[in-house]
Amino acid sequence: MRSTAETLAAPALEVRRLTASYSSRPVLWDVDATFPMGALSAIVGPNGAGKSTLLKAALGLIATDAGQALIQGRPVKTSRDRVAYVPQRDAVDWDFPITVREVVEMGRYAQIGWVRRVQRSDQTLVADCLERVGMAAYASRQIGQLSGGQRQRVFIARALAQQAQVMVMDEPFAGVDARTEADILGLLQELRNEGRAVIVVHHDLGTVRAAFDWVLLLNVRAIAAGPVADVLTPETLRRAYGAAGGLETEEQEPRWAA
Amino acid sequence: MGSLIDLLPLAYPDAVVVVGAALLGMTAGALGVFAVLRERSLVGDALAHSALPGVAVAFLVTGAKDVGTLLAGAACAGIVGALMMVGIERTSRIRPDAAIGVVLSSFFSLGIVLLTYIASTNNANQAGLEKYLFGQAAGLLERDLIVMAILSAISLTLVALLFRALKTTLFDPNFAGSVGLPVRVLEVAMTALLVVAVIVGLRTVGAILMVAMLVVPTVAARQLAGRLAVVLPVSALIGAVVGVTGALLSARAELPTGPVIVLVGFLVVMACVLLAPGRGVIWRARKLARDRRRTLTEGVMVDIETAIHAGPPPTAAELALVSGRDPRVLRRVLRRLDREGMLARDGDRLHLSEIGAAAAHAVLERRNLWSAWLEHGWQLQLPDAREPNPSDLRASLGDHYADRLQALAVKES
Ligand SMILES: Nc1ncnc2c1ncn2[C@@H]1O[C@H](COP(=O)(O)OP(=O)(O)OP(=O)(O)O)[C@@H](O)[C@H]1O
Ligand SMILES: [Mg+2]
Repeated sequence: MRSTAETLAAPALEVRRLTASYSSRPVLWDVDATFPMGALSAIVGPNGAGKSTLLKAALGLIATDAGQALIQGRPVKTSRDRVAYVPQRDAVDWDFPITVREVVEMGRYAQIGWVRRVQRSDQTLVADCLERVGMAAYASRQIGQLSGGQRQRVFIARALAQQAQVMVMDEPFAGVDARTEADILGLLQELRNEGRAVIVVHHDLGTVRAAFDWVLLLNVRAIAAGPVADVLTPETLRRAYGAAGGLETEEQEPRWAA
Repeated sequence: MGSLIDLLPLAYPDAVVVVGAALLGMTAGALGVFAVLRERSLVGDALAHSALPGVAVAFLVTGAKDVGTLLAGAACAGIVGALMMVGIERTSRIRPDAAIGVVLSSFFSLGIVLLTYIASTNNANQAGLEKYLFGQAAGLLERDLIVMAILSAISLTLVALLFRALKTTLFDPNFAGSVGLPVRVLEVAMTALLVVAVIVGLRTVGAILMVAMLVVPTVAARQLAGRLAVVLPVSALIGAVVGVTGALLSARAELPTGPVIVLVGFLVVMACVLLAPGRGVIWRARKLARDRRRTLTEGVMVDIETAIHAGPPPTAAELALVSGRDPRVLRRVLRRLDREGMLARDGDRLHLSEIGAAAAHAVLERRNLWSAWLEHGWQLQLPDAREPNPSDLRASLGDHYADRLQALAVKES
């Protein structure tokens, strides 16, 4: 048994020399990265950089060629209850016959057990999580009848219901409007302030600069990782995104990185 | 089983048919849900077709023609077919639909070749194997029913025990993996359950049409229910009703059972697709027509109100000109407004009656509120993710926010 102090000191997620590939081409190459507890971290990089793959590999959802991932200092297999995963939104069938409440309840199943009845306390927790993402009014709706932003809120409510210390989200801001983005970001900051770790794949470098604490810049290899101000420099961005994208001079940042 | 058959108020042969068809319909209806929701309906089709050579080989090897042995052969062949589909999909660049097509057609061809060969050997025993093509409910024995009942009981119990795990895996396999569910194993289990459903139905419905019994009840149930926990039993029930009706009809009319069951199923699906409340085609079409008509009527009332404000009350012809509406459509709407007492006519000039004016004002207010929402909605900072209903913003926002919205709009202008 580890002491609490040790657990707190261990990083939320640590990836060591991770290599992964679909068929033969490596999608992740020798990636080293750590993400601290109590921080809002971003994973950024161009399309196809392997961001989603990194999350899946770290959670043990796909086989890796080499390397390992530790959640709070322990292998994922023994610490699934410490991490909540929000997959990319378009990865599920939104016409599935299921209600909003049931989706959020899924976050409790691992704790409740796969056969036992859902307890009153779990129902209360599910209602609280829906309330927290502003979706309480929609609990009995079919998920197919929700807008994109509302679906994302439901996914986040499910992750909240898992009550995990580490939350890992794949592009929660993709295709949501400004208000939803602001709401979700506020919520993630609250979670960070509670001392949890929130790790988010995100494409908007502006938001990352303004609101995130920690960042991993990824393009197959880990280009740089650390506090946002240290990592997002013109030099590292050029290495991650290449010279394309309207660079006029050496010093200037790509237009889209401003 | 015997006592159940005796309980039915039917002649013994009919009672056997009914129980067999009910078992088949229930099992295929419930287990087919896992094929349809994974978008794997055609895998069910391929499994059924692959079962055919299994039946033939089992007969050739054992010489027996009891249902149990032949279905064991069918099960083996179904599993081989399933493995081949997965294998082709994983190891080559062939897409799943093509892999299914290859396996389905080649296994079925093999089955036909073997059945033809068996027929040509003139083995006295062979009579009856062709039942496995189009199905025949008549001639089932009580001990066949017992085999089928045990298979369905086991598979339905498994579904009940694994319900949450299966639901989670079906809906979101990535999430399921992240909370530690063995996703691969569960997916294999779902395919294995499909094999069981095929086995239970093969003799009654036949290889060619078995897929319908997997798909039809789910499609109908999906129209009626919005939660998997309801879709499953409803689908099983629809399957049983369809199976029993079709089997009895075919036994009476001396037709092959499979096609009759499928035709009955088709009628049920059509009824559900057309009539289901909420999701049904007719229900949606009527709602659409109602909404269109209301928008049109409200538009005309606002046109009249605006025209009266601008000058002398318009005639119907002037109104058509100003509003750019089709005169015939306009006349129809005016007649309706007349009937509802919204209009007051002055010769051929149009006024709004008292209630008409009130209704027009209500419409205008709603419209203003909606445009205020579009413009200033973000300033309200609603506490939750509500998405207001444009046709009744005040009710969906609540008076407090509606008033604030109006205040914001007034400040602007
Ligand atoms: N299931 C798969 N089979 C084969 N190749 C895949 C698979 N999933 C992803 N890839 C490939 O792996 C690479 C990395 O994909 P990944 O989804 O991790 O990128 P990403 O950084 O998340 O991109 P995006 O920003 O577009 O989401 C891509 O080149 C992609 O084509
Ligand atoms: Mg991705």
